[in-house]
Amino acid sequence: MNPFRVAMAVARKDLRSEWRTRELVPALAQFIILALLIANFGFQINSDNTASIVPGVLWFALIFAGLVAFGRTFAAEREQASLEAMLMTPASPVAIFAGKAFAATVLLIACEAIMLPALALFFGTNIGFDTILAVFVATIGMAALGCLFAALVARVRARELMLPLLTLPLWIPFIIAGGMAVQTALGLPGSYDEAIGLLIDFDILFVVLTSLAARFVLDE
Amino acid sequence: MSKYERAALAAVALMLLAGAAIFFYAPTDYLQGVVQRIFYLHVSSAIAAYGCFAVVLVGGIVYLRKEMPEADRVARAGAVVGVVFTTITLVMGMLWAKPIWNTYWTWDARLTSTLVLWIIYAGYLLVRRMADPGRQAARLAAVVGIFGFIDVPIVHFSVTWWRTQHPGPIVVNDALPPAMLGTFLFTLACTLVLAAVLIGIRYRIETLLDAKLHTSAPAPIIPAGEPETAR
Repeated sequence: MNPFRVAMAVARKDLRSEWRTRELVPALAQFIILALLIANFGFQINSDNTASIVPGVLWFALIFAGLVAFGRTFAAEREQASLEAMLMTPASPVAIFAGKAFAATVLLIACEAIMLPALALFFGTNIGFDTILAVFVATIGMAALGCLFAALVARVRARELMLPLLTLPLWIPFIIAGGMAVQTALGLPGSYDEAIGLLIDFDILFVVLTSLAARFVLDE
Repeated sequence: MSKYERAALAAVALMLLAGAAIFFYAPTDYLQGVVQRIFYLHVSSAIAAYGCFAVVLVGGIVYLRKEMPEADRVARAGAVVGVVFTTITLVMGMLWAKPIWNTYWTWDARLTSTLVLWIIYAGYLLVRRMADPGRQAARLAAVVGIFGFIDVPIVHFSVTWWRTQHPGPIVVNDALPPAMLGTFLFTLACTLVLAAVLIGIRYRIETLLDAKLHTSAPAPIIPAGEPETAR
């Protein structure tokens, strides 16, 4: 079986199921809007300090939305016990994992497509191409890591507790570089090019590492 | 006295000797005064912590490749001891930072990466506690241990990229006077012995725990035909 086609089939299945139920993306969108609402009351935001507060709000909202999204990645499979069924087919576990990771990334990007305009609307920030690029580049590596650990904890007790515990510290490099990139994109001092370069390095590193580790995650 | 008790006793004696060297042999620093003596154990336990996490890394890799329960036990032992040494490093560093930097904490590269190190392996231990013991938990932990070990230099590097104020590596730069260097190397050796002894003892505990749980060992083969005895 061609692993690429397997991955695409799994991703297509996940995306189609999301399209038919329309559960995850609306829930995450609402979650993100709520996060912005809370940020609005938590900070005293005015036109002078938006540039220093908005990057933090952006990453907080994105990280927690991401955790919820990756926590759900394997939920449907677990509820229907269909993961075992998929693993019984001759398809390689790495290809199945790649498909699930791809679908989760697409869903997270859909949430970002809601979050970034909402940020621009509610906080009056100028979200330009630089910010969008930084968030997108960070998403790739974060999604790879998030999916790996979602798959790892899928069949473990107390998984809701474990996923954030394991994923958040490993996301920190992305927050460091991504935070810097968004800050500089919004006009704070620093080098945007260095930050985006680091983000791309992290993407490459973690996508390679995750694909090496994926073999041990799903095969049973 | 068992061999573990003897080893523990030797390690404690060595640490007391190191303490004596730190307080009575090493000269007092001209600028920082007596606070500088924190340095010897602070840096030694940081190195010991890295050593422990290297043990976790190797144990994890061996477990993923060979599925040996022993490798997983070594990794578990390394993680426990490593978290203890990281805690010591962080607390001692904060005690040093308050008089010297006038703050307990600053988001410097080394401090941030050490905190992340602590969080990752504290998480590792929590995972070991929450996941039902067995193959799945061991694999999960092995992946966490490997990714955690890779993550820390990355965090360090990416913060260094923008800001740092932690003192540079003065040992390798040959900036220590001989008496201080000698004290440091002796303390380092003693701390590494202590770490090794602790890992050994913890390994023994993990072996006993596993034996009690029958998890790492394959299920016992029940001979066919025998009636099942009521428990």
